[in-house]
Formats: sequence, structure tokens, C-alpha cells
Amino acid sequence: MFEQISSLMLNLAEQTGIAQLWWGNIVMIMVGAILIYLALSRRYEPFLLLGIGFSCIVANVPGSDLTQPGGLFYYAYKGVELVIIPPLIFLGVGAMTDFGPMIANPSLMILGAAAHLGIFIALIGAKALGFTLAEAGAIGIIGGADGPMAIFVTMKLAPHLLPQIAVAAYSYMALMPLIQPPIMKLLTSPAERQIVMTQGRTVSRLEKICFPFVIAIIVNLLLPPVAPLITMLMLGNMLREVLMVDRLASTAANDLMNVITITLTVAVGSTMEASKFLNIQTLEIVVLGLVAFMGGTASGVIGAKIMNWFSGGKINPLIGSAGIASVPIAARVSHVVGLQENPYNFLIMHAMGPNLAGVFGTAISGGIMLALIGIK
Amino acid sequence: MTVPDTMEGAYVLSVIDFFLSFVIIWGISLVLYIFPYLNKLGHLDDNKLRGGH
Repeated sequence: MFEQISSLMLNLAEQTGIAQLWWGNIVMIMVGAILIYLALSRRYEPFLLLGIGFSCIVANVPGSDLTQPGGLFYYAYKGVELVIIPPLIFLGVGAMTDFGPMIANPSLMILGAAAHLGIFIALIGAKALGFTLAEAGAIGIIGGADGPMAIFVTMKLAPHLLPQIAVAAYSYMALMPLIQPPIMKLLTSPAERQIVMTQGRTVSRLEKICFPFVIAIIVNLLLPPVAPLITMLMLGNMLREVLMVDRLASTAANDLMNVITITLTVAVGSTMEASKFLNIQTLEIVVLGLVAFMGGTASGVIGAKIMNWFSGGKINPLIGSAGIASVPIAARVSHVVGLQENPYNFLIMHAMGPNLAGVFGTAISGGIMLALIGIK
Repeated sequence: MTVPDTMEGAYVLSVIDFFLSFVIIWGISLVLYIFPYLNKLGHLDDNKLRGGH
């Protein structure tokens, strides 16, 4: 009888998560804890890092069915895998975004292209490291600093790399206030950083209402692969700008966005299981993602310096780094660095122009990439 | 025709993509330069637009 009890107890113990725990799980639990620390203590994008960190921890506690077929996190991931969540995020982003600064200063849109050189630096680097061209493209798109676009492109080009790419993209977006300023200061002089820009014109309601229709038609005609994202972005913006459907706009920008954010962060974190995450490939992707961010920041600032030179000193080069997407984080970084040089120089609205253009820049870069690699 | 999965393909993809991004964004900015002329069509009052249900 004693042997029977021992055998049953042993059987019970083997079914617990403790029996399946290995050092990789411990490492990833610590990674999840670090993400949560960054969110709580340093306030780095808590809306993203809390959910990612928590579900990373849960995904690395063996025995739970949450990430297995039929589990809650499994279905959350399905929303990402079936490319349902990224367009819904863009719906919310469009509903909360005022494209006025971009419409008021169309010339600054070009910085939304200039700041994406980092994508291609990382793409070439990834190809040199032995990734396929599709994988390299998915890794490069991290440099666009646009989470939904990174997920969208990755699911088309290299879905098996989604965990690493999504975590790298969202983590670097959250760490932008750390990554960008040293590069911005290295490439600009104090005099350049103190340039005060003239206020842009006021954009009328009619222009703001026409904007989503015009952009949806143009971008979808030119780049059908990214139509789902751009369509939803412009739909959300239209709901916001017509003013008469404020309930819909409010729902898209707030409640829906909150639900989707929770679902997305849980889905992303749940893919960070140790056996899939802890390998050399992950390290390479993390490093390449950082290269993409840094390269994009540098190319954006250099692009703005060139524009400043041609304009006779009217453009503060700090706004160039905001051409990386990640609205409004990158614009906020430009604003803060500008304030450090001149506490009366408010660059935020000037930086929003390139920042918003960066969203289109990433979409356009991603769409061309999908078309050239042959993915629909 | 798609880009070959080689280093040369990576360079070609990058050059074309980067260049075309500039062209497309420049084209969109040209369209936005025309936007102020939309105001000649009329003016929309925010207060009249609000209050939908």
C-alpha cells in the first residue's frame, strides 16, 4: 500500500510544472520580470510592457494550458496570426491621431522616408548573417518602429520569427527615450538643436475630412499588400474627423484600443517560451533590431540636417529622428531633447509631422518589400 | 519577377524600396500641397458637425 501511495504521489509530482521546469524557463521568467520592472519603475510604455512581461512569465511556467491549443493565450495569438489584431490597432490609432501637423507641413513628410534607412541596414545585415530574404525583410521592418506593421509584415514574410520580432519592436519602441537622444546629440550641434521653427498653418475641418479618403485611395492603389492596415488607419481617422460619430471614434480610440492592447500584449508575451526564444537567432534579431533603430534615427537626423541646409536654417534637425514611426514617442523624444537646449522651444507639433509621415513610410516600405519578395 | 534570395537581391530590394519610398511619400506630399485649395469649395462648421447620434 505504501508503494502504491508513493507511486501515486510521484505521478502527481511529475504532472506539476515543477517537474518540467528547466533553466531556460527561469531565464525567461527573469526577462518578463525585467520588462515589468521597466514598466513600473521607469514608466517605459507600461501599456505594452506590463502585458508582455506578465504573459512571458506565465508562458514559462510549465504545465499551464493557457498557451496550448484551446487555451486563452492561444486564441489571443490567433488574432495576431490571422492578422486581425494589427488592423484593429490601426483603427484605434487613426481614431486618436490628428494628422493636422502633417497636412500643414507636407515638406516634412520626406523625413518619414529618410528615417527608414535603418530598415535596410538591418535587412542587409540579416541577409549577411544567413537569414533568408523574407526573414531579413521581417527583421528589417523592426526599424520602422511600428508594432502593428512589424507584426503584419512578419506574419506575411516569416511567421516563425514573430515572437522575437514583436518583442524586439515593442521593447525598442518603449526604450526610444534611451536609444535616440545620444545619436541625435552626436549628429547635431548645439546651435542646430536650438533652432526655433515657425508655426505651421491652421488646417481646416474640410481638409482633415478629405485626408483619410485621399490617402486610403492613393496608398491602396499603389500598395495593395498593406491595404488592410492603411484602410483601418484611415477609417479610424475619418470617424474622428467628421465629429458627428464621436461615440464610434471614442470607442475605437479608447475601449476597443484597450481591449486590443491587452489581447496583443498577452499574445506577444505568450510566444516568449524559452525553448523557442533562447537561441542565437533571437540574439541576432535583437541586435539587428537595435541597429535598425539606431540607423533610422541617424538617417532621419541627417535628412533633417540636409533639409535645414537647403531651407536656410529653418528646420531643427532634431525633428528628423521623429520620422521613425512610433507615434507619439519619437516626436516626444525630439521635443524633450529640444527643450534641454532651449526651454522655450516647443518642437512637439513640428516633430509630429515627420512622426505621422513615418507611419506611412513604414507602410510604404513594408508594402514594397512584400510586393518585391512576392508575398500577397 | 521577384527579387532573388541572395545578397545581391538584398541590395537591390533595399535600393528600390528606399528610393520608391521617397518617390511615393514625395508624391503624397504634392497632393497635400493642393489641400489648401479645398477650402475654396466651402467651410465646415465644427459645431454643426457635432451632435450626431
